[in-house]
Amino acid sequence: MNLSFFDQFSSPCLLGIPLILPSLLLPALLLPSPGNRWINNRLSTIQLWFTHLITKQLMTPLNKAGHKWALLLTSLILMLLSINLLGLLPYTFTPTTQLSMNMALALPLWLATLLTGLRNQPSASLGHLLPEGTPTPLIPALIMIETTSLLIRPLALGVRLTANLTAGHLLIQLISTA
Amino acid sequence: MPQLNPNPWFSIMLLTWFTFSLLIQPKLLSFTLTNNPANKITTTKPTPWTWPWT
Repeated sequence: MNLSFFDQFSSPCLLGIPLILPSLLLPALLLPSPGNRWINNRLSTIQLWFTHLITKQLMTPLNKAGHKWALLLTSLILMLLSINLLGLLPYTFTPTTQLSMNMALALPLWLATLLTGLRNQPSASLGHLLPEGTPTPLIPALIMIETTSLLIRPLALGVRLTANLTAGHLLIQLISTA
Repeated sequence: MPQLNPNPWFSIMLLTWFTFSLLIQPKLLSFTLTNNPANKITTTKPTPWTWPWT
């Protein structure tokens, strides 16, 4: 059968096991849990320093109440980083090229931010639908535009990650087979 | 495009969330830091001192 360039993204199966299973679970092996000591080995120290750097970058602009998002966001960053970097090795499968995985992450998290905002500060979050300084005749159109852009956001973000990774892998394959 | 085949979508969603919440997050919780988070203290300037050369 003739292979098109997109066939590298079909979920591979080996001996009846869908390979997305190990490609999602095994990057966690690269993050060994440090033991109960003050000072651990060098790998754990470097990863701790890196995690701390990421958390600081995320949490510095936020007040104390925003710090409860630290674990969720840092672990999301580390998971996506490890999965995407491991996908650069030859013969590996990158699960983030699958739109299903990116939508599975994007939709619940976007909905969580939307509902949290609506619950804690309902008028302020609805007020974000109209930018400041809008001329009065434009207000209805702009509210509809902002609502549409809000509702499309998870699809846009999920497709953005999928498309970027797919384009990168396609480019690598095209250059190598030129 | 093979990514748009909706067959494995539910299992991929479950697998992603299980990995994310049950595997990565507990591992990250064991990365504990020794200091409490605090802002940088900018009020006290260092007092200059002279080096005793004798």
